Amino acid sequence: MIVAEKLSVHFRRGLLGPPLKALDGLNLEVREGDFFALVGQNGAGKSTAMYCFLGLLRPTAGRLHVMGRVPELGSKLYDAVAYLPEEPHYDLYLTVEEAVGYYASLYGKPLPAKTIQAALERLGLADFKSLPLAKCSKGMKQKVGIAQCLIHRTKLLFLDEPTRGLDPIIVMQFRQVLRELHRQGATIVMNSHVLSEIEMLANRVAIIEKGRAIAQDTLENLMRLDQDVYNVAFEGNGDAPEWVSIESRQGGTVRGSIPAARLYDFVEYTRQAGSRVLECSLKKSTLEESYLKILKGER
Amino acid sequence: MREQFKANLRAHILYYRRSRLLLAFALVFLGMTLLYSLPALFSPLQGAAFSAAREIFTTLNMFLTAFSAGLGLFIVSSHLRDRNLKMVFTKPCPPEWWLASAYLSAVLVSALVNAAILACALAVSLVAHAKIQAGLAFVSLDTFAGSLALTAYFMFLAMIIHPVIAVVFALVFNPSIFYHMQIWTQALINSGAGGAFLRLVERLFHILYMTFPMVHPFSRETSGIENSLRVETGHWHYAFYSLGYALALTALSYCLSLFFLRRKKLI
Repeated sequence: MIVAEKLSVHFRRGLLGPPLKALDGLNLEVREGDFFALVGQNGAGKSTAMYCFLGLLRPTAGRLHVMGRVPELGSKLYDAVAYLPEEPHYDLYLTVEEAVGYYASLYGKPLPAKTIQAALERLGLADFKSLPLAKCSKGMKQKVGIAQCLIHRTKLLFLDEPTRGLDPIIVMQFRQVLRELHRQGATIVMNSHVLSEIEMLANRVAIIEKGRAIAQDTLENLMRLDQDVYNVAFEGNGDAPEWVSIESRQGGTVRGSIPAARLYDFVEYTRQAGSRVLECSLKKSTLEESYLKILKGER
Repeated sequence: MREQFKANLRAHILYYRRSRLLLAFALVFLGMTLLYSLPALFSPLQGAAFSAAREIFTTLNMFLTAFSAGLGLFIVSSHLRDRNLKMVFTKPCPPEWWLASAYLSAVLVSALVNAAILACALAVSLVAHAKIQAGLAFVSLDTFAGSLALTAYFMFLAMIIHPVIAVVFALVFNPSIFYHMQIWTQALINSGAGGAFLRLVERLFHILYMTFPMVHPFSRETSGIENSLRVETGHWHYAFYSLGYALALTALSYCLSLFFLRRKKLI
């Protein structure tokens, strides 16, 4: 769906200043059907990468293809693309209803008023449809952005910090809508700082640091960090070997962890002791833990 | 593309309708015109009614010229400043259509104001029992051509520089300034003061005079019409030449604006 090879974007800093490397040889691949998350610190290059994917920025170097084409402003490629920007840069002189209708009609398909009304109702904007965007709160503007994004069935959806400024109920509804779209086959590329949200939604993640993708894998693999530690739970009343780090003993059940190197010893121990093994799984960490470890270069 | 063009046109018209800046600009100018022209309307002097009608007409046409420049300037600069073009160009709506719709919407508003001014001049003439002159239509057409050119020129300027700098640039690099400089250097050359350098400077001023866009490119040939509002048969083709000049300038400004729009960082 998206292939970026050695993508670089350099911004000039005055006439004599050294260029700012917003992207510095980014390699990235988003496959069809992915729910792909771009993660990174502020200024890492996530939004710049997204702007390149959308054709809003011309890369200084490298190769980029989105759905097999080089992204060009306003081209046919966007028939199947929707974009929700980070900042609500909309036409503030339009009302909520006019804005949703305007952006939706830029896809070139006549849109019945009923469809716009349904989109407004879905996002709780129906009561504010006559309100000018200039008078709307940031959250409401974000909802307008979401409404214009979802009004057409798109194949590729770009979301830049989509839940920023939204109330928790709308965030939950929005997640539901995204899951639904993903299930229906849409490829979604999302920038977000909310790692818990990415954990809930994404299936592939790229960690961007200083304009490069320092890690890129499935969410499952990225979270399977501590491959040298197994979580275990087994029946046992007596002493456990010293390499079992016991976390709790409850009703004859011992819970703890063991080093991966001791897995066979653990199997042997429970077999000899006649203990039933209740759990033995690789220790999973949160995306946040994995992210921090990758950033620190511990992985 | 028809749907996208229509959607953009509708949005631009709404922008003009709701722009407080343009409204304030229009109100201030109309207020000034009224204050300036009302005394003449009630003057007991012979021919005062005609002078008043002509005065109002001329002032309002001047207003239209400046207003049209504002239409072109504001539509581009506000969209660039608000950074909302990324919402348009990340949909299947290419910059050429957006730019064309922006220009057309400005032209429509300008034409509407032009028609209102002409209607106003006709009404004043009728009320004041002044003879309705063909010059009204001529000046109207000429002003409309000028407003077409200015709209396109200011759209281009707004595309490449800050709107305030654009206004200053247009005021400073004005063809009439270069024309007067050329006349001045010609006078120096004729008085025998000139050498090769002065001749070169005179040519340079001439080139600059011809290069920068003019609002009324045939003003010398039609200068009497605005005062007398009388048009001779041979004059009419100048109005159409002006229109042709405006369209050529529009085409050039459009191509240049598009070139820069495509290269702008719209993020």
